[in-house]
Amino acid sequence: MLKIINGGIETLVEDWPGRLGYLGKGMSASGSFDCVGLGLANVLVGNPSGQAGMEITGGFFEAEFTDDHVIALTGTDMQPTINGEPVEMWTSLKVSAGDKIKLLHIAPTGFRCYLAVAGGVDVPAYLGSKSTCIFGAYGGFDGRPLTAGDEVKFGAPSADLSDLTGRKLKPEAMPEYTNQWVLRAIPGPNTCPDYATQEGMDLLFSRVSKIQHTSNRSAYRLEELPDSFFARTDGGVGGSHPSNIIDHAYAIRGALNICGNTPILLVADGPTLGGYMCALNVINADLWKVGQGAPGRDFMQFQLATQEEAIQARKEQKQWLSEDSLA
Amino acid sequence: MSQGKYDVILDTMPATESRLEIMFRQAGDGFIQVEYGREQRAMLQDSFRMLAVNDIIMGKELKGLIETVPGIRTNLLHFDPSELSVDKLIDAVKESEESMPTVDDVVLPSRLIHLPLAFEDSETKKAVAKYQKEVRPDAPNIINGYNLEYMAMCNGITVDETKKMILGTDWFNSGGGFWPGGAFLWPTDPRCAIVVPKYNPPRTWTPEGAAGIGGPCVFTYTTPTGGGYQLFGRTIPVFQFACKHPMFKDGPFLYRNADRVRFHEVSEKEVVEIYGHVHDKTDYTYEIDQGEIKAKEYIEWFNSEEVQKGAAELKAKQAEGTKKAPRL
Repeated sequence: MLKIINGGIETLVEDWPGRLGYLGKGMSASGSFDCVGLGLANVLVGNPSGQAGMEITGGFFEAEFTDDHVIALTGTDMQPTINGEPVEMWTSLKVSAGDKIKLLHIAPTGFRCYLAVAGGVDVPAYLGSKSTCIFGAYGGFDGRPLTAGDEVKFGAPSADLSDLTGRKLKPEAMPEYTNQWVLRAIPGPNTCPDYATQEGMDLLFSRVSKIQHTSNRSAYRLEELPDSFFARTDGGVGGSHPSNIIDHAYAIRGALNICGNTPILLVADGPTLGGYMCALNVINADLWKVGQGAPGRDFMQFQLATQEEAIQARKEQKQWLSEDSLA
Repeated sequence: MSQGKYDVILDTMPATESRLEIMFRQAGDGFIQVEYGREQRAMLQDSFRMLAVNDIIMGKELKGLIETVPGIRTNLLHFDPSELSVDKLIDAVKESEESMPTVDDVVLPSRLIHLPLAFEDSETKKAVAKYQKEVRPDAPNIINGYNLEYMAMCNGITVDETKKMILGTDWFNSGGGFWPGGAFLWPTDPRCAIVVPKYNPPRTWTPEGAAGIGGPCVFTYTTPTGGGYQLFGRTIPVFQFACKHPMFKDGPFLYRNADRVRFHEVSEKEVVEIYGHVHDKTDYTYEIDQGEIKAKEYIEWFNSEEVQKGAAELKAKQAEGTKKAPRL
């Protein structure tokens, strides 16, 4: 068990691929915002890559283990310590009853840190997933972030703790972090010539945009687009702004919603349906990068991709988040 | 238009006598959007056909198809491309479409859910008062502490007529989304098709079961949340996170695609008592009739002189009302 001393800015129980199959019921998939961070942490401790772990956003998390466990920390380097002593990330570590883990703030790159424990976080699955939907307050640990006094339970490890300790990644399996994230994206469903101009789409696929500080687990907001982005002068029956259309379901996670002049990437807990056009989708295999983008600090750029590339990238990611990545 | 790098229409099906043109639009590597017609329009007959075809697609139990999410004129297909190729999925949709060649074939299973409704109850009045106090003291959509008079004004009718219209039509669910368990409910009778603007800015709190209308759609709030629809009363629970009541044993949702809702007026006391019987005693019996919608019959009725005359009369009143009602 893990007794929470300080939940920090926002620590959530998340798994992957999350709660699939309920978009039409108004429930987005939620799930780990960076599935690579969670996946590699799980692989290190001998869990299936989608097992539920803890997603620590922003930092200042502090907790005490009540039993012996094997853990791994991945993601942004929050200068983790155990009993005040610095510990390595991206490796599996043995912890003992009474050990206190403490994290500081985010590193110059990356935004979220993942803590996996051998056996995975043991919370009841809700509609097929242990992920928290923070916006709807359901799933995960009572539908909310972890807070002081909470006691988090874990399942049974896949092997003896001593066999799971000291596992490391191959150097080439380490994800690369940056302050300017290149996201491969597929245009659609609303593009040129009917909704956007060719010039507007060219701009969308070439510019570098700062992630706005108002971004969260539902929406990553980017810098405004000029009026010349739109091919229409209004949204007809859908509304007065050319970004308006009659309500349609959003292809989340990963759809880029154009809401007024603001492009908004709809992510983990995002809305499942609404009345704004969607110009592109970030490919599934690049969604993890969004979760490591820090609002107000990092930049994003879209790179044109095809469905074939995206499907190939999915296969590669599946391989990446497996024991093949262990050194 | 030549094949450009932003072309997203993967395939099409031509319009027929009973169907609009269909576009298969690319939406990432795990979704395609099936769009019906090029015009932005919201017509129930389009939704009836799409949902009937959707039932056929779902009946195929395609491996790798995760879900479908119908809107009023689009259907979003969510799939795992490692198990199901785009081509195979499009073929399955085409086959389903072609199995329904004429409007006579469009018969949609549709439950009729009877929901008790208390107009202007004290819980939704609290939400309106809170909004007026904390968000917008000068809100023109609040008259005598509630939204019903503003709703009537927008449509050029009286409050009594507004209530009669809400009770006088069935409300068709074209598909859920937007909020857990929610449904977009459209009036089936155009003579009752009231239209109102949404709150500006939105509310910060709305009680569970609040019944409101925004644009042409009615929404019954599944859980306490913010919201922007004009409130007219409160109905019984249509959602239960805990899945305790037998109605919710398979999931927290009451509404399914293609359901129709019919409201009947009861006292506030009765509505409040039902909350206890749904959430605590779990012994309330929901009143639900099995049924179906025959698109051909609906279209004939819809286009009949009597219905069209009544619809035109309401439209004329609405044109007058829109001039008088203050914008939000």
